Amino acid sequence: MELRVTESTENELSIEIAGEDHTFMNVLKGTLLEHDDITAATYDVNPEQSGGQTEPILTIKTVEGVDPLEALEEAAADVRGKTTAFRDAFEAAA
Amino acid sequence: MTAEYDVEFVEREDRDARFLVRGVTPAFANGIRRAMVADVPTMAIDTVRFVENSSVMFDEQLALRLGLVPLTTPPEGEFVEDDTVTLSIDVEGPATAYSGDLVSSDDLVQPADDNVPIIELKDGQRLEAEADAVLERGKNHAKHQGGVAVGYRHLQRVSVVDDLPEFEEQESQIVRGVIEDDGELVPTSEFDHDLSNRYPGKQVEVEDVPNAFVFRVETDGSFTVEELVTRAVDSIEARATELEDAVQL
Repeated sequence: MELRVTESTENELSIEIAGEDHTFMNVLKGTLLEHDDITAATYDVNPEQSGGQTEPILTIKTVEGVDPLEALEEAAADVRGKTTAFRDAFEAAA
Repeated sequence: MTAEYDVEFVEREDRDARFLVRGVTPAFANGIRRAMVADVPTMAIDTVRFVENSSVMFDEQLALRLGLVPLTTPPEGEFVEDDTVTLSIDVEGPATAYSGDLVSSDDLVQPADDNVPIIELKDGQRLEAEADAVLERGKNHAKHQGGVAVGYRHLQRVSVVDDLPEFEEQESQIVRGVIEDDGELVPTSEFDHDLSNRYPGKQVEVEDVPNAFVFRVETDGSFTVEELVTRAVDSIEARATELEDAVQL
């Protein structure tokens, strides 16, 4: 997983996450949107045959005073929390 | 933010199961489904060296067939990508070569089924070959897909609202999946998928239960359903951890 920041301002961040596809990006986007201090989160990915930009680009907008990169870090931790909770629940039932 | 999940099995066999998950967002449910199909590595034959092939098919055709034979995948940590396991086959006609004729060099990697026909050999025809199996992901080739039928549906809640008017004929109402009736989970196959069988003379209302999904998971025999689900979740978790570490730098 290679990260490359393509655009960055105080409350907005665009970052390329190389090697990922919808499987992870959509989970991440959904998790980002659960936060109240994130006003917008989306990702864009083009098909492999299109040439050009084929790695997903994640764009995050936050409210005043919140660093988008920190919000991303938090969201990644949230995803980890979800997977742990899911595994525990699944193993408890299995 | 900690999520609360609740998992309940509806049907359960080694290779085929149905389970209900409550409290899961559509995005996360789909992430798990996609990870089960494309991101859980399984063993499959990738290279074949033919010693003798006097059958009616070309080497390449047989190599594809051998590749599609599901092999049991060893527990996590036993193998890494790029490790290979050698299997050999030697069948002389008249006979049919089956997946069960494959002899593996590793007890952990065996054909998941013994009755997959590879080719019918006539009198005097012979197939002798050596094959290397590798660990890969479904993303690269369908032969590495551990989950062959993986999907989910909303859990549907059925409630009786009223009796049917006395002279009105009841129409069949088809639903598929699993319904929740007063907290009880009922697979629709129990009443032939038709609500008019289960609730004769009643008017019913069907609604999707928010954030409750019934997963149907079938594996190709590489591993059990439990194994597939936990490995899929692990793969998402590994990526989240990787992202967290990468952002921290």
